[in-house]
Amino acid sequence: MGFFWEGLREAARLVVSGDAATYHAVWVSFFCTVVAITAAGVLAIPYGAWLGLFRPRGHRAQVFALRVGMALPTVVVGLIVFGFLSRRGLLGSLDLLYTQAAIIIGQFILAFPLLGTLAHGAAADLDRRVVETAITLGSGKRRALWAVLGEVRVAVVAAYLAAFGRCVTELGIALTVGGNLPMRTRTLPSAATLEVTRGEFGKALAPGILLLVLACGAALVTHRLSREARS
Amino acid sequence: MSHRKAAALALLVGWLAVAAGCGEKRPLLRLAVTTSTYNSGLLDVILPPFEKQAGVSIRVLAVGTGQALALGERGEVDVVLVHARKREEQFMAAGHGADHREIMSNEFVIAGPASDPAGISGRDALDALVRIAKKQAAFVSRGDDSGTHIRERDLWKQTGISPAWDSYFEVGQGMGKSLTIANEKLAYVLVDRATMLARENTVELVVLCERGKNLHNPYSAITVRADRVSAETFRTAQQFLKYLTSADTRRRIAGYQKNGRPFFVPATETE
Repeated sequence: MGFFWEGLREAARLVVSGDAATYHAVWVSFFCTVVAITAAGVLAIPYGAWLGLFRPRGHRAQVFALRVGMALPTVVVGLIVFGFLSRRGLLGSLDLLYTQAAIIIGQFILAFPLLGTLAHGAAADLDRRVVETAITLGSGKRRALWAVLGEVRVAVVAAYLAAFGRCVTELGIALTVGGNLPMRTRTLPSAATLEVTRGEFGKALAPGILLLVLACGAALVTHRLSREARS
Repeated sequence: MSHRKAAALALLVGWLAVAAGCGEKRPLLRLAVTTSTYNSGLLDVILPPFEKQAGVSIRVLAVGTGQALALGERGEVDVVLVHARKREEQFMAAGHGADHREIMSNEFVIAGPASDPAGISGRDALDALVRIAKKQAAFVSRGDDSGTHIRERDLWKQTGISPAWDSYFEVGQGMGKSLTIANEKLAYVLVDRATMLARENTVELVVLCERGKNLHNPYSAITVRADRVSAETFRTAQQFLKYLTSADTRRRIAGYQKNGRPFFVPATETE
């Protein structure tokens, strides 16, 4: 156990002393994930709710595709994005590989199916009367969709927490298209991995602890939001 | 017996069978090697004969030299195969190792884009680095405390330059991935000959600097101190070290080639 405590002490020292590289990784992790899940949510949540509410033609296949997307391994997403952004790839001329934008694109792909599926589930479970009431009250389909999103906001908040968790902890994308460049694209998980390969257990634990703090923060915010939404 | 009980029993029996299968009876030897050796594929040639002959199975961990030595120090592996002479000497001086043998060597090279913007082609390694720094050309550094990274830092130290410009990228990843990033960025990179040889068809970068004493890259195997592992394991580890320096193994190392070019040169007689 001594080994573990020693590591923990070193980690605590790094966290408290405000090590610049470590805190930059916190920022990259937080920034990329928030941008990615916000963008994904703006598109995926109305889309998922629309699928659940109006069951358009081919909605089953689309829901199935979303579910498959939920299980996409991060490494595969990383590889796909790499294929597009590589110098020899379709979007190579944009010069986006090894930038935060590349990480955001990957995390967007990760978050989209998750948010879409959860929104679809919530909307499909909803009492049909709410929808019908909204439509009879004279609002168009778009207004009805909006009203329904209001009804399922607790589920939406929970979906966001799940997406945040999946994106902030992912490693496959950060390494493959982020490149783990210090003070640029190094995220908390990729920083932890690097320190392990360096044989620095304590330094690897520090990003781990900060990830936990981020997760707690996100859970707290969600908790507050869903309580407000309920009342 | 109810169906449910029968199902539970079947599950238990099945699980036990699997568990028994996993608990292989052959003794285990744990070996930490650098990613450059691992990526070269050499281990597939030199490990199986020993496994057969000594009746052991070898578990290979591919890590940087820094982590390999840290694992050895804690007795989490039995043998390490690394390439950072000074670190190896420190490791031995601190009493963490039992026996140290040079196994083989190759060389580092500086690879870069064929257009060679810093004009380093054919120059001495130190001169090349100075030119790269002057141009502030794109350079990918392993940045992971591996043998290659340690050498790179050592070379920079000799030039008296501390590399820190906007396109000096410290990627913190293994040799293969670092080379991929350098290839994407069309950057210069210090890379071992074996990895470059294994990847020559998949990267556009070309070898620009080679040879010279600064680029010599010897690999050594170290057995971990006897009291960190069981007596039987220690005996196997010592036997493995002997095997690595045997004439047979030297022949296998020399014979491991691609397009007629060897990945490594076996060490000369060390006995």
